[in-house]
Amino acid sequence: MASTTRRLKRSGLTMPIVTPRFINNAWHRGCDYINMDLEDSVPPHLKDVARNLVRESIPVVNKGGADAVCRINHDLMEADLNAVVWPGLMMVNYPKAEYGHEIERMDAIITRLEAERGIRPGAVEIGANIETAVGVANAYEIVTASPRVRDFGGASGYDMSRDLGVEMFVDFDQFVYGKGEVELAARAAGREPRAAPFTPNITGSVSDPDRAFAEADAARKCGFRIGGGLHPAVVEPQIRGFAPSDDEVSDARWVLQEYRKLTRTGDTWVQIDVSQVDREASPRPMAADSYLGRHRVIDGYEAARAEELLQWQSLCQERDREKAEAMDRVRAAEAAESPS
Amino acid sequence: MTAPSPVRRSWLLTPISHPDRVSNAPSAGADVIVLDLAEFVAEPDKPAAREFLRDCLVPAKSTGAEVFVQIDPELMLADLTAAVWPGLDGIVVTRAETPEQVVAIDAIISQLESRRGMSPGSVEMVLSLETALGNHNGFEVATASSRTWGLSLGRADLVMDLRPEPSGETHLMQYLTQRLVTLASAAGTVPLGAWWRFPDRGLLATPENTLAAAQRGRAIGFRGSFCIRDNQVRPLNAGFTPSESEVAAAHALCEVYAAAIASGTSTTVSVDERVLTPDIVAQAANTIALADACSTRDRFKAAAVEGIPIPVP
Repeated sequence: MASTTRRLKRSGLTMPIVTPRFINNAWHRGCDYINMDLEDSVPPHLKDVARNLVRESIPVVNKGGADAVCRINHDLMEADLNAVVWPGLMMVNYPKAEYGHEIERMDAIITRLEAERGIRPGAVEIGANIETAVGVANAYEIVTASPRVRDFGGASGYDMSRDLGVEMFVDFDQFVYGKGEVELAARAAGREPRAAPFTPNITGSVSDPDRAFAEADAARKCGFRIGGGLHPAVVEPQIRGFAPSDDEVSDARWVLQEYRKLTRTGDTWVQIDVSQVDREASPRPMAADSYLGRHRVIDGYEAARAEELLQWQSLCQERDREKAEAMDRVRAAEAAESPS
Repeated sequence: MTAPSPVRRSWLLTPISHPDRVSNAPSAGADVIVLDLAEFVAEPDKPAAREFLRDCLVPAKSTGAEVFVQIDPELMLADLTAAVWPGLDGIVVTRAETPEQVVAIDAIISQLESRRGMSPGSVEMVLSLETALGNHNGFEVATASSRTWGLSLGRADLVMDLRPEPSGETHLMQYLTQRLVTLASAAGTVPLGAWWRFPDRGLLATPENTLAAAQRGRAIGFRGSFCIRDNQVRPLNAGFTPSESEVAAAHALCEVYAAAIASGTSTTVSVDERVLTPDIVAQAANTIALADACSTRDRFKAAAVEGIPIPVP
């Protein structure tokens, strides 16, 4: 399933690998990836059993077109990698990353396993998650330790809260510094930041679809493209929240149209009062009362942002089509097998 | 307290490729006019802009402004060769990223100063950390050259694609601004910037929003900011100048403290429920000194407008 093209990660479910009910049904949910968990949701006495379930579970979670991801244990990294790096696995999530040498070690093991097991070299990504103060301090050396680290983030959440001894569910952002360090490291290393605007969550709910949509919508508008969760109820709202709206797509086309006009002048930017633009025109800017305001600047930055939005929309559509086709294939096969 | 530095509250970016804007720039009342070769000059217009630059330097100072030139480090040799002439006060480096780059720019400036009869080390630098790598390397970049007078985030919101959050704050900016103010101070340089909020972007804002951004910016340690429009200059000058009430309160506080110390009754002095420490009193004295320096700067600019020759403050 993993390929050289960028894999979308708008929505993903983290599921305990030792609970067959969850793993066997996860492919119905329509998420971009399924994260088979060997870590927090697996009790210590089941770790050995758990890691040996991954290989056979990869094709199961792949059924609906989702990419297979596995979260291993920080302290059992080598044994876990040996058990989980098999064809079809897109990414290994590594929790509590703290030092660059850990990632270098993982890279070496994965490189060997790819060669031994017929996996395209470099195919398996490393999801290095920053969840401790030590990880924050070493963020740049961690993100630059391997080209397999393609997106990078953390410095918030359950483990970070415990590491710093702070309450996680509060109405203010208690991780401004750590998240800033990690995001700056990701950007400085040229990797995609796995981040989102702060939205207060004082209940700790993991299954509220409205909250999931609002968070994905805010993340998308802020330029972020990666989501994930623990409950099936958040999958559809995340996919919806990460998709550009029709108005935004029209707006992006309008920006590019105005930018082409601008490039024929000696100016590098122009300001346009969008309340004066014909509301029936196509393409047209977002309505003047939108969050963008009445005056819009057109410049190279806005044009690049519009280009990205249109590309993102086509990536989303392509991925949704890919998953729908996979889902249809499974249903057709099941129908053919079941006695009428 | 570091050595007093010139008052440079407003930095008006003016594209050299627009002669009308260059000739109008002095009337805006900026402390610094930044003749831009990098950000707002279309690529095909750059050679002509470089040719035109030397003749712009002295006229740009007609209303008492200092003149900096903003360059693109990718084109450092061509841009600096066009810019470093007598009359130039400094260089603004866009997208400053590495100490090596800053050292290279410093060396070219030194050669040009010597070749063109300018006093060695007279051209200052302001470095705009607009990329993630530039911010990541911030302290090393800031300390790479003794010419570096100030640090800014320039248009990092656009260069790094940092967009507004639902709160109205620009993503990552709270972290980046505090980081910049801290490392600029640690490097003995002046932090430049303002606390912009949605819909302000790329240093562009209404006069009202510019004033508010400057006041918030001053409150977190910035001492001046770049801007793009003429009508942002006065709000920046005002926002980075201590208000009359602040100055009056600072005077009152210094007087109470001086009187109490002189009476010799106590080393602990309190005003309204605040205990005055030497640091608080020194801070009040700094506010008074800054207000005085701002007013000297304003008198100098007013005199220049009226054609009265007075020495540079």
